[in-house]
Amino acid sequence: MSRAPQTPLGRTARLLDLVPYLASHQGIELLSLAQEFDVSQSQMVADLTTLWMCGLPGYTPLELMDLSFESGFVTIHNAETLAHPRTLSDEESIALLLGLDLVIESLPNDREDLKKIALDLVTRLSARSSIPAKLSALPVMPGSVRSIVERAVREKSGVEIVYHSSYSDTITKRIVVPIELRVENGSEYLWGICQNARAFRSFRLDRIQTAVLTAVQKISTTPSEQKHEVAYTICTHSREREVMERFGLDRESHRGAMETTSFSHEWIRRSVLASSGSVEVLSPADIRSDVLRAAQSILNRYAST
Amino acid sequence: MSRKIERLINLTIALLATKRYLTKSEIFRSVDGYEGSAETKERMFERDKDDLRNLGVVIEVGSFDPVFEDEAGYRIKPERYALDLGEISGVQIALLSLAAEAWRGAALDDAAHSALTKLRSIGVESDLDGVPAIAPRLNAAHDDFLVITTAIAKRQRISFTYLSSNLERQSRIVEPFAIATKNSHWYVAGKDTEKSQIRTFRLDRIDGEITSMQVPGGYEIPEGFDVFQSLSNLENATVATIDIRKGKAQLLRNTALSIIDKGEWDQITVEYFNSQTLIDLVLWHGEDAFVIAPIELRTDVMTKLHEIVLLHV
Repeated sequence: MSRAPQTPLGRTARLLDLVPYLASHQGIELLSLAQEFDVSQSQMVADLTTLWMCGLPGYTPLELMDLSFESGFVTIHNAETLAHPRTLSDEESIALLLGLDLVIESLPNDREDLKKIALDLVTRLSARSSIPAKLSALPVMPGSVRSIVERAVREKSGVEIVYHSSYSDTITKRIVVPIELRVENGSEYLWGICQNARAFRSFRLDRIQTAVLTAVQKISTTPSEQKHEVAYTICTHSREREVMERFGLDRESHRGAMETTSFSHEWIRRSVLASSGSVEVLSPADIRSDVLRAAQSILNRYAST
Repeated sequence: MSRKIERLINLTIALLATKRYLTKSEIFRSVDGYEGSAETKERMFERDKDDLRNLGVVIEVGSFDPVFEDEAGYRIKPERYALDLGEISGVQIALLSLAAEAWRGAALDDAAHSALTKLRSIGVESDLDGVPAIAPRLNAAHDDFLVITTAIAKRQRISFTYLSSNLERQSRIVEPFAIATKNSHWYVAGKDTEKSQIRTFRLDRIDGEITSMQVPGGYEIPEGFDVFQSLSNLENATVATIDIRKGKAQLLRNTALSIIDKGEWDQITVEYFNSQTLIDLVLWHGEDAFVIAPIELRTDVMTKLHEIVLLHV
C-alpha cells in the first residue's frame, strides 16, 4: 500500500520532484522509480503521462518535456527549467538537522574528519532554513554497537557483549544468541538466549558497552521463556510522576496501593531507595525489611564518618 | 484533477523560465489551462498561487517600472526555487543519507524520505564506502510531533496539557524554540507564555493532543538556542565529592570529573544541576556510594534516608 499523497497538491509536489530525479537518473527502470517515490507502477505511469503534457508556453513539441517510458525504462529531455531539485521544506530541514546531529554523535571518535564534514552540513542547512535554534539528538548508544547488534539479529549470529547490569551494578561479558530487538517502556532491548545463563534474557541496548560478532554452537534444547517474576505492592507519597515512570506503571492508574511485578528483588530494593522516600513498599515483607535495613545501615555510616 | 496539476506545473515552468515579471494577462494568454470568463481565470490564478506557496514555492510580485504604476507581475526566481547547498561530495551525500535513514519508522520518516529524494537528484553518487557502517535510529515520539515541528518553523504557539511532578494536569501555552532528544526521550523547549520563562517539556509527559495557533507577528527564536544547554543551566552547576566502592557504582563512575584511589574506595567528583536527581542516583547505589561534600547535599541525603526508614519501620 502506498503512503504517497493522491491529492492534487501532493501529486504536483511529486511531479516537481520527479523531473530533477529523472534528469539525474536517465534510463531508470519504471519499477525502481515507483519505489523511490513510494507509489504503484500504474500511479507512476499516470504521473509521467501528466508530466508529458507540460512545458514552456507555446506547448508545441519543441516546448513540451520529452519523456519516454514505454520500454519500462524512463528518460526525460527538454526539461531544463525544472531540472534542479526544489529547495528543502522546513520539515525536511528539521528531519535532516536532527538526523545529522545524531550521526555526528554516533560516529566513532577517531572519525573527527567526518564529524567536521557533517557539522559543516549542519551549518549550511541551518543557514538555509528558518530554524535558528540548535536541534540536538543524542544517541542512546554508540552507533558501532548498534550496527553490530542489528547485524547479529539479522544474520542470526552470536554476539559477545560487554554489558553493564544496572540492578546488580556489575559489568560482565556475555555471549548472546539474539532473537529480536524489543521496545519496552520507551527503551530498546536486545532479546535473546544468554549462553552464560542458559536462559532467555533481555539486555537494554544503551547498557551494552561493546559488541562483537562471534560464532556460537546451536543450543539443542531451547530454554523455556518462563520469566522469574517477583510480585510486589507499593504506594506513593510524593513525586508521583517520577515514581510511575521509574516503576513502569501507567500514570492513569495512579492510586493507593499498586500491585506490580519485577524480574528481580534487587531491582525493587534499589528503585525504592532511589525514590528518596517518595515510595513505600507494602509487600512482600522481606523486601520491606530489606529496604529498612539498607537505609539504616547507610545512615549509620553517615553518622559515624 | 490532472488538468489542475498540469496547470500548476505549467505555471511553475513559465514563472521560472521568465527573466522578467509576467503580468496576469500575459499568464492567461500564454500558460496552458486558464479558461473561462475573466472572473473564473482570476479565481483560478489566485488559488494556484496559494497552492504553489503552500508547496513552498516562492512567487515574487513586482512591476516593470516602479516609477509608473504598472500592472503587477509575477515570477519565480530560480535561486529561491532550487536547492543550493553549495558544492556537495559523495561523502556528504552519504552522511545526509544516514541522517535521513535515522527516521525510518519514526515521526519525520516521510519528510526525511522526500529530502533524500531531492538530495539524490543533485546527481552526486553517495560514497557509502567513505563512512563507517553505523545505523543510528531516532525513536517515535508524541503522535503530534509534526504539530510541534510545523509550529517551530511557522512561529506558532502550541497548547497542551502537561503532567506535573505530582501528576496534576496543567494547561500550558508555549512558544516553541526547538526540539531535541536524549536517552530515548524527546523534549520541546520554548517560552512558557504564562510564566514568561524558558521551559523544557518531555513529550511523553504531554497528556493528549497538542494544538497550534497563529501568533500575530510571530515571535523570535534566540539564535543558536540549545535545549540541553537550557536544561543544564551551566551557571547553576555544583560539584559534589562522593566516595564509591571499588568496581561498583558504574553509573556514577561514568559521570566522574576526577577519580582518586583511596584503597577500598575511590573518591570521585561529579557535576550536578539538580540535587534531587543526584540524590536518587546516589541512593540507587545503596551502600556503595556516600556523599562527602557539599555538606548540604550530604544532609539532604541523610534526611531522605530518614524518611525511608520512617516509612518502612
